[in-house]
Amino acid sequence: MIEFKNVSKVYSSNGAHALDNVTLSIAKGEFVFIVGASGAGKSTFLKLIMREEQPTSGSIIVNDMYLERLSRRKVPYLRRTMGIVFQDFRLISKMTVYENVAFAMRCVGKKTATIKKRVPYILDLVGLSDKANDHPTELSGGEQQRVSLARALVNNPELIIADEPTGNIDPEMSYEIIELLSEINKRGTTVLVVTHEHELVKSFGKRVINIEDGRVVADSADEEYIAI
Amino acid sequence: MSSFGYLVKEGFKNLFNNRMMSLASIGVLISCLVLTGSAVLLTVNVSNFVDTVSDKNLTNVYLDDDMDHLHAVAIGQDILAVEHVVDAQLVEKDEAMEGFREQLGEDIFQNMTGKGNPFPYSYRISVDAETMQNVEQYDKVVEELKHVQLVRNGEVLGKVASVSSHRDMAQKLTSLSSLITMMSFWIILALAVISLFIIANTIRMTMFSHRFEISIMKSVGATNTFVRIPFIIEGAMIGLISAVVSVGVLYFLSEGIIAALKSILKFNYTPFTDVIWYVAGAFIGAGVIVGVLGSLLSISRFLKREGNEILGW
Repeated sequence: MIEFKNVSKVYSSNGAHALDNVTLSIAKGEFVFIVGASGAGKSTFLKLIMREEQPTSGSIIVNDMYLERLSRRKVPYLRRTMGIVFQDFRLISKMTVYENVAFAMRCVGKKTATIKKRVPYILDLVGLSDKANDHPTELSGGEQQRVSLARALVNNPELIIADEPTGNIDPEMSYEIIELLSEINKRGTTVLVVTHEHELVKSFGKRVINIEDGRVVADSADEEYIAI
Repeated sequence: MSSFGYLVKEGFKNLFNNRMMSLASIGVLISCLVLTGSAVLLTVNVSNFVDTVSDKNLTNVYLDDDMDHLHAVAIGQDILAVEHVVDAQLVEKDEAMEGFREQLGEDIFQNMTGKGNPFPYSYRISVDAETMQNVEQYDKVVEELKHVQLVRNGEVLGKVASVSSHRDMAQKLTSLSSLITMMSFWIILALAVISLFIIANTIRMTMFSHRFEISIMKSVGATNTFVRIPFIIEGAMIGLISAVVSVGVLYFLSEGIIAALKSILKFNYTPFTDVIWYVAGAFIGAGVIVGVLGSLLSISRFLKREGNEILGW
């Protein structure tokens, strides 16, 4: 599913070593938390998976695609295999909840008839059927994040990447969002959650990868792992 | 709705939401197209005029005002005797007046029939083809015609008063036409470049206002072509609207100018309606190409950005 082999990333603009010789593997259907302080390299890790950045050295395989061999034209097709949930939700305020979710299907060329069937199903899955015609500004933080999750799910991706999904919502809602991601994971979708909320991570008992200063300093999948 | 239908709708929405800049782009493009069309119409009509003059081989020889009919007929032999003159048709006084009556109306000529007719007798002269091609030789013939006299038994009974030639005007118009064509070329080129940049800027502003949507589009896997299409349609619509308005403006402009010119110069004008479809086709083609190029110019740089770079974060 995701494989990093000796991956390093140095930003040419400021010479910062964002990732340093990272090697890890995440299997299909896994639920993984990526934890670490600000500036530890978590964002770079995600950008490399989404192919927003390319590694300085090493190789990356995501959903059976070798990213160093992937041409620019093929990048959209890689991104169609993943759904992304942002900390700030990234919902279009002038669109309704339904339209926001449908927009993701429009962008990959799905027909109106398919959209009309699929969007209500996904909104039901995240518990927002009754909010379909509301605008994002009329919703709570937790509800907005569920819309963002619905949009990430609507194209039936193999992988969900959630970048600090609980960063802008209250603790109770945070728990609900991770619970929802956990439910989605049970249906076979790989889930990757970047967070710095250790308490939340502990309560779910999933695999945890800790990144510090651009290196993987702990991985709960390793035999010698010591919980932090 | 198909994806393409959706993208076309988005393109129209962009055009409307960004209407002030769209209007500015349309305005500049119209100026460019109208100038181009005017230059083309002018060139076509000038060359028509030159052809008309060459076809009719027209040179007019006016006789003295007081020359009577008998002498006017007699001097025809002397005019024909001038080398390179192949035909000389006498124009009666009434015939000359008739021509002006058609153009200027009945009232002015009410009391000018018969002996009151102020027009002199004249001859329509044709010269041979070789002379028409050779300016120097033609001028020589005109000069000789100016000195033709009706001399009988050593007495001068009448003479040529003046010679007028449309050829002079044709030559002047031809050089004016080439000057206009050359000037138009540079003005049009400059305006085309300006239009291109204004359209590119308009589209860039639209893209900037849609940067949030674009970042989402890219994150969910929209291809660059998909992102581009609404902006290309916006550019193409700017070109299309400009082309249609320009054809209308040029139609009214040319009708007005031709109507005014008809009373001054008589020749076969090419009415705009004869070339309207060619001009419309060319305008739409040029307008759409400039529009599409303008939008491509601004999109390519934008699409190279990824993620938060698109949002400027």
